[in-house]
Amino acid sequence: MTLSLALEARDLAQLPSRRDEDWRWTDLRGLIRELPAPSPEAEASPAGPFEGHGDSELLVVNGRLQGDVGLLILGDGQRRVLRLRLVSASPGTAHAVRLSIQLGSGAELTLLETHEGQAEGYLADSHLSVSLSTGARLERIVLADDEAEAISVSTAEVRLEAGAEFCQTILTHGARRQRLETRVEHPGQAAKVRMDGAYLVSGRRHADLTTAVTHGGTDGVTGQLIKGVVADQGRGVFQGRITVSPGADRTDARMGHHALLLSDRAEVNAKPELLIFADDVACAHGATVGALDEDALFYAQQRGMPEAVAKALLTEAFIGEVIDRIEHDGAREIAHAWAADRQVG
Amino acid sequence: MPAVKQTVDQVESLERYQHGFVTTIDQEFAPKGLSADIVRFISAKKQEPEWMLEWRLAAYERWLAMDEPDWAKVSFPKIDYQDSYYYAAPKEKIGPMSLDEVDPEILATYAKLGIPLREQEVLAGVQGAPKYAVDAVFDSVSVVTTFKKELAAVGVIFCSFSEAVREHPELVKKYLGTVVPASDNYFACLNSAVFSDGSFVYVPPGVRCPMELSTYFRINAAESGQFERTLIIADAGAYVSYLEGCTAPMRDENQLHAAVVELVTLDDAEIKYSTVQNWYPGDPETGKGGIYNFVTKRADCRGDRSKVSWTQVETGSAITWKYPSCVLRGKDSVGEFYSIAITNGRQQADTGTKMIHLGEGTRSRIISKGISAGRSSNTYRGLVSAHPKAKGARNFTQCDSLLIGKTCAAHTVPYIEARNGQTVVEHEATTTRLSDDQLFYVMQRGLSQEEAVQLLVNGFVKDVLQELPMEFAVEAQKLVAISLEGSVG
Repeated sequence: MTLSLALEARDLAQLPSRRDEDWRWTDLRGLIRELPAPSPEAEASPAGPFEGHGDSELLVVNGRLQGDVGLLILGDGQRRVLRLRLVSASPGTAHAVRLSIQLGSGAELTLLETHEGQAEGYLADSHLSVSLSTGARLERIVLADDEAEAISVSTAEVRLEAGAEFCQTILTHGARRQRLETRVEHPGQAAKVRMDGAYLVSGRRHADLTTAVTHGGTDGVTGQLIKGVVADQGRGVFQGRITVSPGADRTDARMGHHALLLSDRAEVNAKPELLIFADDVACAHGATVGALDEDALFYAQQRGMPEAVAKALLTEAFIGEVIDRIEHDGAREIAHAWAADRQVG
Repeated sequence: MPAVKQTVDQVESLERYQHGFVTTIDQEFAPKGLSADIVRFISAKKQEPEWMLEWRLAAYERWLAMDEPDWAKVSFPKIDYQDSYYYAAPKEKIGPMSLDEVDPEILATYAKLGIPLREQEVLAGVQGAPKYAVDAVFDSVSVVTTFKKELAAVGVIFCSFSEAVREHPELVKKYLGTVVPASDNYFACLNSAVFSDGSFVYVPPGVRCPMELSTYFRINAAESGQFERTLIIADAGAYVSYLEGCTAPMRDENQLHAAVVELVTLDDAEIKYSTVQNWYPGDPETGKGGIYNFVTKRADCRGDRSKVSWTQVETGSAITWKYPSCVLRGKDSVGEFYSIAITNGRQQADTGTKMIHLGEGTRSRIISKGISAGRSSNTYRGLVSAHPKAKGARNFTQCDSLLIGKTCAAHTVPYIEARNGQTVVEHEATTTRLSDDQLFYVMQRGLSQEEAVQLLVNGFVKDVLQELPMEFAVEAQKLVAISLEGSVG
């Protein structure tokens, strides 16, 4: 049950619904009453948020690759910084795209990915499959900027070989309904994963960050920090699953999810899961949901800051912790500015 | 050398499930299988009024239309609901009787299990020892309830469920099925149709129940299921502490235990409900036999400032599938859940709690300690949900899992739903194995590996053990040690 299957078969019954455990908080079947017409060919605005960074660009408009193939292969030891722009440019239409990236041994890629909603009420699906050979490294930074009435699902499947490293930061401010899902398999030894994310949701937007990591080899490390700020009638969803397979000893997995509720009608749903089948492990997760710290707010106001400014300062600092972990300097700065522009509350 | 002899005895007794014997008595069964006629048979046996039979039959009709759920992280062969006895009772007269009338074999059974059924025996030993009243349920009937007179003097009703249907129909009618509706879920619905006995407690306004109440469930008959139903009502300002214990014989077959427990607290009332569950877990090597413990337990904190506290020590059962829950409806009501779940051998447990915050200022606290050893699987599954009107709701959850051995599994699956901006939910979970450093430290001081493990495990579960009534905490601590026997080395 996925959106791409439904689009391909033009069959509403293929949409995931609340009855599917993994979609309990992001119901698509109840929302999509009919499938919109396929998106036409279109042009996108010339520059994305990461313009000026990286050495090349992969542009996808309405699910169509512009003059390129949907497969990127980086040979052994190569290094690249790539902009990947997924643009939705036609209102009320649907499109899907599949892309793959393969990194050879020791190759390094920084992927600056943007989801750009340049029209109203579209339906977008994207699927990215990534494989990392021994010792390869990928840093993926995603700015998901969907339009308020859009429905969008983005799935990434990542497979790591021994000693490979995958770092990810996803920033989103949601859509009518939006899901950003990442699945990581590391059967290899000593693979490293960092999977961070932040959602800034206001109005009636909905953002769903779902991740699943499976440790198959020994000495794997996973660190995860997800933060969220929800205002108005927004809804944030975080589902994180860490599985440690039998024999994946000395796995170290840590997951944190922290969310702020800035209004009476804001909503946060979370399901941080640990499934452990090996005994020599250290796994932990923490999840908190609550309002802004009253004491901190009072402290700031006492020093002459208007309430709105104090709130903005505190939430910016709260989200800032996630953004600071981005390693690519240019991308980190852009991400900070991007989050500041989409400040909620 | 008595000390050595004692040790040898203790070690021998630890190697097996101590409650696995069968009592041979004359028993009466309903015909095997499940049908509307069996439901009528059970109702007639219990001399129930018409309204009770109708309630059962309506539940049976609904059950037929339901599908067995399969979402828990447990696996077992499909249950043949027609291949079981739904009613088994010692061949004696129906209903509670005086102790002299009870089959001596049954009395001997309870003596062997260490359950005091003679009131004077409770007092034997140390002077001033706390009293506790017992309702003993043997297969499908309650055989005896102690201290009834003393409790009646303060207005507390403590009797078997069948007796309550006959003697206090107005209370049963008012509360039965209001916390767990007949069609709540597959197993609760089955229970509503065929429930046999269980306990009924009513504590009138302002009364603090003068002693601990307890029910002891024993499955004895083969190829039978136990479907008891417990209903406890604490009226405004009342307090009661209740404990249930359970054991069953060792058999190669799987037996189903599908109980329903409903708790109701009105304004300022409090119920403390403790469970020490030690059903036969099945053969640790082959996984053959053992009880399927599929239980629905829920508390409705209807009154303002009311409180319900669940404490469970789950060591037995081949499969445990239960989530004692609190519906926090009353303003400022409080729900607590303290759990130790231990799985060893081939046991599977999927257990946890649900805290549903509906009222303003409601608070809940969850402390769960899971220990898995052998080839077992232990899952914590919990829901904390704060509804839009539950302004100022607060929850704290801590669930820790401990793994002993390479072949066991421990899972943590919490659900958090915060639906208003004035909610604070905190959840933390850890999964680790026993620390080598700590083991080394303790063993260096002269303890054997087995003792060292027991000591560390006891430290791990201490937060929960101290929530149990004192006299049971000691028992529970021993049980924890026994359950983990043979898990190291």
